[in-house]
Formats: sequence, C-alpha cells, structure tokens
Amino acid sequence: MGLSDLDKDRYFKQLSVRDWDQERLKSAKVLIVGIGGLGSVSALYLTAAGVGKMRLCDGDKVKRSNLNRQILYIEESIGKIKVEEAKKRLVSLNPDVEIEAVPESIGDQNADELTKDCDIIIDGLDNIESRFLLNKQAVRMQIPYVYGAVQGWQGYVGLFYPPQTACLACILPQDAQTPDTVPIPGVLPGAIGILQATEALKFIMGVEKTLAGRLLIYDSQNLTFDIVEIERNPNCSCCSL
Amino acid sequence: MVIYLKAGSELRLRLKPDIDYYTRRVETEQGKSIKEILADIGVNPGFVAFIYTEGKVKGLDYIPSDGQNITLQPPVSGG
Repeated sequence: MGLSDLDKDRYFKQLSVRDWDQERLKSAKVLIVGIGGLGSVSALYLTAAGVGKMRLCDGDKVKRSNLNRQILYIEESIGKIKVEEAKKRLVSLNPDVEIEAVPESIGDQNADELTKDCDIIIDGLDNIESRFLLNKQAVRMQIPYVYGAVQGWQGYVGLFYPPQTACLACILPQDAQTPDTVPIPGVLPGAIGILQATEALKFIMGVEKTLAGRLLIYDSQNLTFDIVEIERNPNCSCCSL
Repeated sequence: MVIYLKAGSELRLRLKPDIDYYTRRVETEQGKSIKEILADIGVNPGFVAFIYTEGKVKGLDYIPSDGQNITLQPPVSGG
C-alpha cells in the first residue's frame, strides 16, 4: 500500500517527522468507544492524520449539554445520532479514511464484534463501569487500550497492554463508581483526547516512547503533568487470570 | 513521624490542605498504612482510587516512611 500524490500533498507536513510511518498508519484500524468529549477530539486528529480505518461506537444522541466539549457536533446536531453526525464531519475532513459508525453502547453482548480486527482501542467513555468492561475486553483480545478520563480540572491518560503492562483494573478499585454528575470544563477532554490520539499514533507507527506501563496525570488547575509508573498487580482480577 | 499528603483534583475538598493549596501535613505512627492514616484524619479511603509516591503508583495498603510525600488520586470518570 503506497502513498498517492494526493496523500503526499495532504500529509506533507508530517511525512518528514522523524520516525513517522504514514503507510503503517494507513493500514491501521482504530476503535474509538464513546464519541463524546474525549472521542470527538481523538477521532478528529486521527482522521486528519490519515489513519486507514476507524470504527466509532456510541449509542447516544447529541444533547445541548454536550456542546461545551464534544467538538464534532454543532447546534443542528442536537437530537441526532452521535456516530452518524461524527462520521459526516470526519468524512468531510478526510474522505480517504474509512469510517464505520456503530450506533451502540459497548456491552457484553457486542464487545467481541466491536473489537474485532482492531489494532488499538481508544477510550472515549464517560463512566468507570463501561471502562472496566472495555479494559476486560482489551485484555482478553490482547488489543492495546489507550485509556483517558477527565473530571474537574484533572485528567488521566494511560496505555494498557498486558502482559507487557498493567491493566486499568490493576490500579482502580473494582468498586469505584461514577458520580451522578461529573464536572468537566470543555478544554480538558480536548487536552486529554489529543494526548490519547498521540499515544495511539505512536503505538501504531512503532514510535518510542509511549505511555505503556505509565500513567499521565494532568492537573490543569495547578498546571502539572505527572507521569508515574504502574506495576502489574499479581492479584489483578482482570489481567492476572 | 510526619508525612505530607497531596490531594489530586476534587479530593482537595476532603483532605483540607494546610500547607499549600493541595498539601496537608499529617503526624502519624510508623507502620500504619495510608488507608489507616486516612481513616485517622477523617478522610474516607473510598474516595481515593490510588496513590503515588516517588514516581510510582501504590495501593492504599502502602506503608509510608517519615517525611514522605504521598499524592492521593480520586477515581476520574468523565469523558
């Protein structure tokens, strides 16, 4: 699979980046689960970068309260199916990217089908319970999982890929719960979603050094980025079995 | 002994920092776990997802030593 003249023109600015491998990117398939604040941003940048195929999964419709951060949508999107609106916008940005829109939330019943043939998973979810399910599926299928989450002024990014790394369940308690209302300033999922997309691009292209085995903690109020090492939990209920 | 607990994000409101915006000085006994120390100072350990110190994530059963800085992190769930 070579690059056409149009590809060389479109991706001109990134083709000369050290270790950049556009052909590898073009042959990759990315699953984004949840096309909200995080997923909107990851999807936009991966589309712009020229990833080959993307599967978008989300069972929600667009609400007005999404518009402070879910930048794929506009006022006219309200009430419409998110993944369909997202696909329209992304195709208009880069028609060469093959986009599959799945208007479903992830669950035990469709997890196998959703993750089938994917090279990497990006977490765009909005609750801990679904993240545990996605993490479990990623571990089971041995697909790298780019974790992201935001709340208040703070966000997390990680790359989980057992057995080389820990998994999400190695660090979060199994009884962790999502509060009824999660406060989110619109800019924060923007920052975290871009970091997730960056990690996915690096992993796909084999660029050192990723967040594998580490967690990035961004505190936008205090303006700090802490990166901490995560060891596998030998008693993890998910990845040690 | 003394340890310094730093609160990530909204845990700040529960930790009641006294040194700076994020940090609380805590006098405690050698050999106690972070979970026990949190209970001693009236912070429900259930609000803490994990901690980290010296660049590594640890569980709540971690036993700190004198003068150590520990950062507490809440479960962050939105997207």
